[in-house]
Amino acid sequence: MTVWTPTDDGHADLTSHDAFAGGAPHNTFARLRREDPLHWTEYADGQDFWSVTRHADIAEMNKNTAVFSSARGIRMEDQSYEEYLARRTFQETDPPEHSQTRMKLMKAFSRTTMAQYEDDIRAICVDILDEVLDKGTFDATKEIARQLPMRMLGRIVGLPDADLPWLVEKGDALIANTDPDFTTHVLDKLDTDEYRMMPFNSPAGAELYLYAKDLMEQKEKAGDTSGVLHMILQPSKDGSVISDTEFRNFFCLVVAAGNDTTRYSIAAGIQAMCHQPELLEQMQAGGDIWETAPDEIIRWATPALYFRRTALQDHEMHGKTIRAGDKVLYWWSSANRDETVFDDPFRVDLYRNPNRHLSFGQGGPHVCLGMWLARLEVKVLFQELAKRLSSIEPAGPHKFLRSNFVGGIKELPVTVRRA
Amino acid sequence: MRVIWKLADGREIAAEVAPGLSLMEAAQANNVPGVIGECGGCLSCATCHVVVDPDWADRTGAPGEFEDAMLDITAAERQPRSRLSCQIEAHPDLDGLVLHVPEA
Repeated sequence: MTVWTPTDDGHADLTSHDAFAGGAPHNTFARLRREDPLHWTEYADGQDFWSVTRHADIAEMNKNTAVFSSARGIRMEDQSYEEYLARRTFQETDPPEHSQTRMKLMKAFSRTTMAQYEDDIRAICVDILDEVLDKGTFDATKEIARQLPMRMLGRIVGLPDADLPWLVEKGDALIANTDPDFTTHVLDKLDTDEYRMMPFNSPAGAELYLYAKDLMEQKEKAGDTSGVLHMILQPSKDGSVISDTEFRNFFCLVVAAGNDTTRYSIAAGIQAMCHQPELLEQMQAGGDIWETAPDEIIRWATPALYFRRTALQDHEMHGKTIRAGDKVLYWWSSANRDETVFDDPFRVDLYRNPNRHLSFGQGGPHVCLGMWLARLEVKVLFQELAKRLSSIEPAGPHKFLRSNFVGGIKELPVTVRRA
Repeated sequence: MRVIWKLADGREIAAEVAPGLSLMEAAQANNVPGVIGECGGCLSCATCHVVVDPDWADRTGAPGEFEDAMLDITAAERQPRSRLSCQIEAHPDLDGLVLHVPEA
């Protein structure tokens, strides 16, 4: 049994958020990989872009930062230069500038540092699961997947626990800014001009801005140097210091990134358990599976559906010419279902090895900073969940986020029986 | 050129590597466990950590500035001849190179 079968007609409009509201249009991606791997995608008001859908092409282009730049935006929507300056984070920079910022953060997010949080993560997982599993039937995204990443982010970034629910809410509004369940300001349906200069065009971005500013002032007064927020404010080797705008945008990035990507990985893993009952038994058998299962769950989820680059010079590919200035989208979601790389890509195989998925943007300088934290959270959560269950099944249809940028199951009703 | 990866568990993997390829790419192509290379050689991940055999250290050279900083965040502890193998290019002069893959 497969976990989920795409239902699009193979010609979905990739610029439409609605086209992703039933899950990513994988029949369309499969057709593009087969017939038109470098696809000129028409988009309103002349914002057309290239869609790259094959794993091998994305892997090759992703490391070629001399031709494909992140510094002009990473979403499909155009933005003006002033908007870009106001909103950019280190996601929207290229080497060597990108490397310099990253260097300040790497240690805080390294595999070794993250490994020290394993006990904390486990304690939080136990808390979450002990509270929810007795309910029997519940929304697994809301009650499980949503909880862990934000509570952990609070620990790592050094945020007060009391602020976390508010931050989760703002983070949701920030990242899910095209889904009416999460924001009153749906990006493509309202004039969000007022918020153009804010991170993610979102009023929640404005509030997070102010929060970050206050938080840092308080921390400075108290001499609190814990967490990565302090680390990023330190001057780099050449004496340069991050600007206020860069810092506040980074804060929004961290809240958004910590809020939704791991959440949707966990949700996708739980959804897979509902539809492939053997997964629970395999997890319970334990052992080597924990070396490979987290990456397979994260491949299956692919929460970041795409990131965009902009060509800095003409580039020939598949008999076409990408012109300097053209936008190019790397559809990670398509690469992660590429049948030339993954056997039976629509089946979750927790033993899959090697697993060359691109959910973290592997193969390029922007590879996810939080990937070790994400893997660890996913591993520990499913270890603790599997231990406590004798069965899990759907209690109704699951619902995806209305977004062509973030792929996620926002409602996941399940019924569980405790072991 | 020929490269030998010596793994922490005592196993060895030997392979012919085309000049110009990075030794991280070569390790990926030969499924050398422990050399991951998440960032594709962009100095963003420090997951292709190797320790150059003493006999070869002079010929592979010293790490550059960014590489040096990244070597401080490797999963296995840094050693005096630690390198990120994405920053070593296969070259005929390195024929017979021996790299140790530290235990993560």
